[in-house]
Amino acid sequence: MTVSLIAAQFLSGLTTAMFLFLIASGLSLVFGVMRVLNFAHGSFYMIGAYMAWQVVHWMRPEGESFWLAVLAAGAGVAVLGGVVERLLLRHLYGLEELYQLLFTYALVLILGDAAKFIWGTGQLSVRPPPVLDGQFVFPGVTLPYYNLFIMLIGPAIAIAGWLVLSRSSAGRLLRAASYDREMLSALGGNVGLLYTGMFVASSFLAGLAGALITPMESIVPGMDVQVIVQAFIVIVIGGLGSFWGTFWGAVIYGQALSFGILIFPEFSLFSVFALMAAVLMIRPWGLFGRPIR
Amino acid sequence: MEFRFLPAAAMAVGLLAPLAAQAKGPIKIGFPIPLSGPTAVYGEPILKGAELAVADINAHGGVLGRKLELLPRDSKANPAEAVRLARELIVKNGVQFLAGTLTSAEAPAVSTIAKENHIVFVAPSAKIVALTDKANIHPYIFRAASNTTIEGEAGALIMSKMKGVHTIATIAPDYAYGHDAITAFITAMKRLRPDIKIVDQQWPRLGQANFTPFITAQMSKHPDAVYCDLFAGDFISFVKQATPLGYFKAIHNRLADGGEAGSVDVTRALGNTYPLGIWVNAYDPVLWDGPNQPPAERAFDEKVAKAMKDKYGSSWAIQGYVTISAIAQGIRAAGSTNEAAVSKAMAGMTYPTPLGPRTFDATTHNADAGEYWGPAVRSPKFPFAVIQDPTYYNPQPAGH
Repeated sequence: MTVSLIAAQFLSGLTTAMFLFLIASGLSLVFGVMRVLNFAHGSFYMIGAYMAWQVVHWMRPEGESFWLAVLAAGAGVAVLGGVVERLLLRHLYGLEELYQLLFTYALVLILGDAAKFIWGTGQLSVRPPPVLDGQFVFPGVTLPYYNLFIMLIGPAIAIAGWLVLSRSSAGRLLRAASYDREMLSALGGNVGLLYTGMFVASSFLAGLAGALITPMESIVPGMDVQVIVQAFIVIVIGGLGSFWGTFWGAVIYGQALSFGILIFPEFSLFSVFALMAAVLMIRPWGLFGRPIR
Repeated sequence: MEFRFLPAAAMAVGLLAPLAAQAKGPIKIGFPIPLSGPTAVYGEPILKGAELAVADINAHGGVLGRKLELLPRDSKANPAEAVRLARELIVKNGVQFLAGTLTSAEAPAVSTIAKENHIVFVAPSAKIVALTDKANIHPYIFRAASNTTIEGEAGALIMSKMKGVHTIATIAPDYAYGHDAITAFITAMKRLRPDIKIVDQQWPRLGQANFTPFITAQMSKHPDAVYCDLFAGDFISFVKQATPLGYFKAIHNRLADGGEAGSVDVTRALGNTYPLGIWVNAYDPVLWDGPNQPPAERAFDEKVAKAMKDKYGSSWAIQGYVTISAIAQGIRAAGSTNEAAVSKAMAGMTYPTPLGPRTFDATTHNADAGEYWGPAVRSPKFPFAVIQDPTYYNPQPAGH
């Protein structure tokens, strides 16, 4: 194993990790604050990818319209999330978690069929924006600009999220809501608005992630379910509801996958599942989570 | 034992009576195929092809004076659902033939139902060898699809002629189809070019959209060329991630893909980002860059495009069309719809298709269905890559 080989695998793992963090961060935030395990988060991600394609398609020839498409997809999915939360999800907060799980699962099916109805079943593809369509070439290592961009976007979102949660007044309320929703409500906090805001922000992140993945992956029906499983593994490793846990969970997932492939190419996902099993056995609440009281 | 026999006989009569009554009606063919979920992208054009075949046959007076009737059902690419639908089609709808299923998981599952019920079943697209191997072959299963052995051998034939290749790597989805095809490829390659070394094998999961670590791991082994079996959306994601990493440049575009990466749906999605020069295949190239397009195929593809209300149509519709044509030909050859007679007639039968005659092997019931291969090139006629001079590769032609 040479240095350049390790560097190449590390960068691949980091690209994987930061994409997963973009997706898993919204999922983790909603669970952390609202205690809702949102199966439909992957569907929001898929809708974001389709919306990005749609905007790029309308603004042909493809070019820097990609950036507009990313913002539009984030905003579009945020609106969708807001509507879902205001009209439907909020009626289920008082009920058992099982009902919320069933509801978000129903959303997966509905949004999957809706996407198929609107965009068909064919594979769609979006080109990377011209400004990021190139690569740094070092001896033995090639780093595409776009991969580097994703590696920077991930930590940027992590820091922004952390600042909001730890430094802003909204963040204080969110943390309060995650500890004791009734108490916050009794003290005059507007929990309803807080939850809507949280769900909209989480949906925005999902839409953003879906749009940002399009230069690297094909847009196909089924990408929703494929991604939600990986996002769940990330938040299980990191600790359910822990924001930084999600970040480090993604980094660990990415590197385990990347070096697992190098060492045991015949069992590509073995390393990731082995890792998850080990974490669940040793620390069932995840590496950065807190044991549930 | 009579008391047991009598109700059984009564039941048999009860079951046979509606069949006899149907003899004057249309010949029903059940068609479970994924029409929802990610694989519907292939299920839909295959069904479209089957519908076109039924329309064509009925326009020419049907078979033995009876019309064909297709009963499509959404299998959701789920073997359990495909089995349930196949049972329901037989028991409730009284179909006499089964065709369809898409994946290498559905087809073997439905094959067991065909075996139990003595119903002829023709699979249009499942390539897995086990569908018709010694352990699983029975009189009623036929495969109109190509198979992994043909695919791997064709890939080996092509790559054995590439210049300056001493080491090869492989990348294929980690399930039965990928493993079967790679095994066939390596077996054939060892025979054709014992000097070539296999230096790396990657097995991403099916639907694994993130290929980056697989790509960099493979590049670290510095293969001269790559044999690939990724298909559809997976192939597209793979290309999108491999190109900026310099993967194709490192292997000088010496890659062959046996997963129908030359199908129009894939070439269209990638547009002018398609890696040119790599060798790819398709059941039906649809858009030919070269003079050898059979006129019957051109006419067929125009019909498909019209039926699908799409400018270019699909490379997969042909498989649905061929499947129904084979059943019709079998009924004609048998002179009746009797299951045993049709099954017997179909074993070893040669049947016409828009791409020329195909033959079911008398023992394995596999069609000698190769695919069209060629290097991907940019064509002045289309805004995406096409296969240059598509050439029919069939390493296992049936003895006519």
